[in-house]
Amino acid sequence: MPRTFARIGRQLAVVPIVALGSYLLIAALPLGAEEDSKRQLPPELVASYRRDLGIGEPLGFLRPWQKLFRGERLGTSAQGVTGEELLRKISGSVGVGSLAMALALTWALAFAVLRSRRGSGARVMGKMIPAIAFGTPVFIPALLLAPYVAEAGHWLPELAAALVISASPGIFLGALLTDAVRAELSRDYVRTALGKGLAPGSVFRRHVVPNVLPALLDSVGPVATALLAGSFAAERVFGLPYFGQLYVVAVLQKQVAIVVVATTCFAALLAAVGLCVELVRLFVDPRTRAAGQP
Amino acid sequence: MKASRDNLRRSALAGLGILLGLWALSFATSAVWPAALGRCPFGYDVLRPDSTVCELAIGGLWVSLSIGIAAGAVATLFGLLVAMAARAAGGVLEEGSIRLADAFFALPDVLILMVLQFAAQTLADVHPALKVAPAPLMIASLAAVGWSGPARMFRNRFATLEAQDFIAASKALGAGRPFLLRRHLWPAMRGYLLAILVARIPAAILAESTVSFFGIAKVEPMSLGRYLGTSYSSLLYPSGARIVVPAWILLVLVVLGATLSAQGAALDRE
Repeated sequence: MPRTFARIGRQLAVVPIVALGSYLLIAALPLGAEEDSKRQLPPELVASYRRDLGIGEPLGFLRPWQKLFRGERLGTSAQGVTGEELLRKISGSVGVGSLAMALALTWALAFAVLRSRRGSGARVMGKMIPAIAFGTPVFIPALLLAPYVAEAGHWLPELAAALVISASPGIFLGALLTDAVRAELSRDYVRTALGKGLAPGSVFRRHVVPNVLPALLDSVGPVATALLAGSFAAERVFGLPYFGQLYVVAVLQKQVAIVVVATTCFAALLAAVGLCVELVRLFVDPRTRAAGQP
Repeated sequence: MKASRDNLRRSALAGLGILLGLWALSFATSAVWPAALGRCPFGYDVLRPDSTVCELAIGGLWVSLSIGIAAGAVATLFGLLVAMAARAAGGVLEEGSIRLADAFFALPDVLILMVLQFAAQTLADVHPALKVAPAPLMIASLAAVGWSGPARMFRNRFATLEAQDFIAASKALGAGRPFLLRRHLWPAMRGYLLAILVARIPAAILAESTVSFFGIAKVEPMSLGRYLGTSYSSLLYPSGARIVVPAWILLVLVVLGATLSAQGAALDRE
């Protein structure tokens, strides 16, 4: 149990590090954009910018959060966002991400079945499919699909976004799954169990799967990261007004307070995924439970 | 077993051949013999009607590969230095540096890349003297994004190697850290380092293309990533796929070459 708490603590430590790091980076930047540098900025605008970010104040890095909790709008009034809107956007992205995770698991199983088949065709496909999946930026399939689904409504854009962002992480999971299963099947305990007369299905279910699951759980974090990274492009192409879209627009329009808050929210989201993984690990991995016992 | 190793070795050579061949073809046809790409089966680009699709796609490939290799090399070397420093320091410093790498690794590449490009561009807007050319800025940003994964992997690899009996025996015979590094650790790390470096190339190219797609980075001369990123609107035209598909195929070939080469480097590690 202490080991689990240590792992959870490590996940959570990422959030304040990212919050502080992104704030310090943004606060250290000189004020202004290309157009602004050509003219003198009005002092009240400079003061408003500094107030918005809490620059020069003790605990100033908490200022954007303070504004959000008070229900004030973060950033300029037209493109800004309130705490409530931010939550709605996050839940939209989480919904698309969860759907994408389910699809990624489906791709993973399909690819694992393909890789486990013998024959030169399966071998060539086993090399080509990852190359195509990993060599394809998310925005290309998104753009190919966009003309057919962007205006369709009925959750079709969300489904299409989940479909395009799930392909690469799904193939990654599939490759990992096949390698982990192959490694386990070659171990002595499997030969022993089979030699003692246990049916192959039972050996797989009772011995191999519990040993493969921890390796899969380890990959959930990077897969969640990949899904979130993919959501930036997919949400933009399909016109989904969720969190990825908010982030890209904030960066393009130099809405610094939103960039700081959104970066921290991303880190918190990934930390939450990490926490869920640790909890699931406690249930499925007996070694984790045993490590905590005296 | 030997046949399988031979197959892997052949695949690795094929992968390296693909990467070098693509770079040489791209560089030769864009810098040495540009007229070669004047006639292109895919026709002229919709958005840049004075250039053919081949000129833009193949011409941008060497830029992307060069950026990918440079960024991959800087990130890998920085990761190696961090791992070596962390192992040498040990204790809290080692734990702290790995946690920092974790914090970087936990966030999507594209997100950090956008923040870094945003910061550098804002700085350049206000202080033109601090303006960095887009290609070096992209290399630096990609390296700043990509060091954390290699740092973690190198640190774990060092820890595994240092726990081996032959290292303990060497230490018992009086070997110092520089000797251990040169005689025992470096030969065992070489292949691993190469595998990680090669694996970073497609990741860097993909990250660059995604950031270009958002209109945040403007690498000159135009890279394959930026070409892909800025050509998306051509997909809205009828037969617009002919603009994007050649660049996409080149990207897939780069990934295939890098994957095969990395497998060969991993074989060397064994």
